[in-house]
Amino acid sequence: MIKVTNLHKTFNDLVVLQGIDIEVKRGEVVAIIGPSGSGKSTLLRCLNFLEIPDQGVIEIGEVTIDAKQYTQKEVHQLRQQTAMVFQNYNLFKNKTALQNITESLLITKKMKQGEANQTGEALLEQVGLSEKAGSYPITLSGGQQQRVAIARALAVSPHAILLDEPTSALDPELVAEVLQVIKAIAEKKTTMVIVTHEMAFARQVADKVIFMADGKIVEQGAPADIFDRPSNERTKRFLQQFSAPESVIS
Amino acid sequence: MNFDGLYMLEVLPTLLKYLPLTLLMAFVSMFFAIIMGLFLALITKNQVPVLHQLAKVYISFFRATPTLVQLFIIYYGLPQVIPSFSVLNALTAAIIGLSFKNSAYLAEIFRAALHSVDHGQLEACLAVGMTKSQAYRRIILPQATRNAIPATGNTFIGLIKETSLAFTLGVAELFAQGKMMASSSLKYLETYLAVAIVYWGITILYSLVQEWMENKLSKPYRN
Repeated sequence: MIKVTNLHKTFNDLVVLQGIDIEVKRGEVVAIIGPSGSGKSTLLRCLNFLEIPDQGVIEIGEVTIDAKQYTQKEVHQLRQQTAMVFQNYNLFKNKTALQNITESLLITKKMKQGEANQTGEALLEQVGLSEKAGSYPITLSGGQQQRVAIARALAVSPHAILLDEPTSALDPELVAEVLQVIKAIAEKKTTMVIVTHEMAFARQVADKVIFMADGKIVEQGAPADIFDRPSNERTKRFLQQFSAPESVIS
Repeated sequence: MNFDGLYMLEVLPTLLKYLPLTLLMAFVSMFFAIIMGLFLALITKNQVPVLHQLAKVYISFFRATPTLVQLFIIYYGLPQVIPSFSVLNALTAAIIGLSFKNSAYLAEIFRAALHSVDHGQLEACLAVGMTKSQAYRRIILPQATRNAIPATGNTFIGLIKETSLAFTLGVAELFAQGKMMASSSLKYLETYLAVAIVYWGITILYSLVQEWMENKLSKPYRN
């Protein structure tokens, strides 16, 4: 489904990814956790070539692409295998909620307007925003915008959805509604890779958790193993920050 | 006081007959300037090799030299080295010159407008499988257009007034006609004021159109 082999990425002199290998099976939900600057988001953005890796092979759906040698056409095909949900939503500002969803259907899938609208309306209903179909992004709350963004990602029925810290920019009271939507999608066996700081959520929805630090995968496994029985010292230290917040304050 | 207000009103209808020619020059030049300006902006924004450097020289030249000098180079100068230019009539030469000059100004405005669109918008397009050109057409350019309109409007107003320079190439346009009427009647103030009023009127009308456009385009961005 998704297979990444020996992925390397450097920004100028800064080494961000050093030899990442991951595999995601169909219908699997993978959560990537780790401290800031560990390369989680860069890894995710390499999967659709928004960041171009220096080295490595990425295989998603029917497309295999080698960072050493690729064409623009292959990049385009690779991007069509996935859809991405961004931290800052990135809804098309000049389009309504419904148009945000139908845009890719009309443009890349060449769907008829009527059919696209039906699909769009069904997806808006799925994320609980039917009544906002005609609203422009600026009039929506962060939580609502992110739910539209999730619907937009679902619209292209990708092989996998990549979520890059989908709740990190949200006000605390809006986080739950977005997580709920993601959870509902996960239950439908949608393949997802989520970079997140929501540990409880990762534990709840993920089939597999990957802990990254300093551009490497430190540890990966079932949520229960990673969260309850981490074997690596680095993982333990990282998770401790989340388990005992009171002790930090007092 | 030596001021013949009635004469001023009388010359207005005659001057207005030349309005279509002025508007023709303004609109046609603006049309080509927008196309060329957009092209230049896309080249400079995306730093297309070679073309990027050429575009910078072009923009620099047309921004840094007087419009009048540019018009004279095109109409009087170029036929000397490119004989086929000698068949250009004065009106065409004026339109070419004004298009070139304003495309350089618009290139800078459009480049800034393209930069003002958040990079995330392009990423979102690519992430749902659009090509870069689809992204530009459907998402980036419409948003950039809104940002570009106020400054583009200024350029257009400037262009309307610059069409009066065509008189120096011998185009019998609004200002040329005013000059002739003033010389024959010796009522300079009245005639030139009437000419000024016509330009002023066009600009007021255009400003109303621009306000309407801005209003329409800013609809998605209002809370």
